[in-house]
Amino acid sequence: MFNWLIEQALGHLPVWLWPAVAGAGTAVYFLAHLLSNFPNVKPYAIFIKPAAFLTIILGVFMYGGAGVTEILQAQIKEQEAKIAVAQQASSDANTNIQTKIVTKTKVIHDTQVVYQEKIKEVEKKIDADCKIDPEAISILNGAAKNPLGATK
Amino acid sequence: MKKLLVVSLIVFLSGCSSVTGPKMSMTWPDTPPDLKTACPDLGQVDTNTTKLSDALNVITANYSQYYLCKDKVDNWLDWYNAQQKIFNSVK
Repeated sequence: MFNWLIEQALGHLPVWLWPAVAGAGTAVYFLAHLLSNFPNVKPYAIFIKPAAFLTIILGVFMYGGAGVTEILQAQIKEQEAKIAVAQQASSDANTNIQTKIVTKTKVIHDTQVVYQEKIKEVEKKIDADCKIDPEAISILNGAAKNPLGATK
Repeated sequence: MKKLLVVSLIVFLSGCSSVTGPKMSMTWPDTPPDLKTACPDLGQVDTNTTKLSDALNVITANYSQYYLCKDKVDNWLDWYNAQQKIFNSVK
């Protein structure tokens, strides 16, 4: 949570702020260096110098991080665009396959209906001409049975 | 002055390396619902019948069943290959 808050706070600061902080730190550092030549302000310069140095360090460190963050943000946007295109393509592929499934299933069902109609047309004739021995049905059913067991 | 520059460079580089990007990836798509159902078992002829037409009806229904199941497997392969190609293009 704390990290997230820090990231949110830092993420909204402009990149130019950090070199500005480092520049300001450098200016203050050199100013403090000059002021240390004056005996009246010398004691203050001793405190200002380390503070300015830390400000430089902070500015430079954050500038390094902000630069990389900017590059990463650009890469994220590029990747997001790629993913959006791929997801659309994936969805289109799913729709195409779904359409193909429906079309092919209809063709197979229609063909089955045609053959069942043909059987109906000759039903009386073939049933009169041929009686199947129960043994033949048993063999046929045995062959149609799944040797691996029932489907789950 | 030189020391300050060296320290600045080190600090700058450590600032660079402290940032890592989030890992982004595409989620694998959901399978079309028609491909999720298993193929049923083949139909059985009524053992009490002696009619050839009854047997033929079951046999033709079984042929249809086979083609439906074959189509399902073919569509699975088409779906998988298409999605794999799209998925790999994002990497």
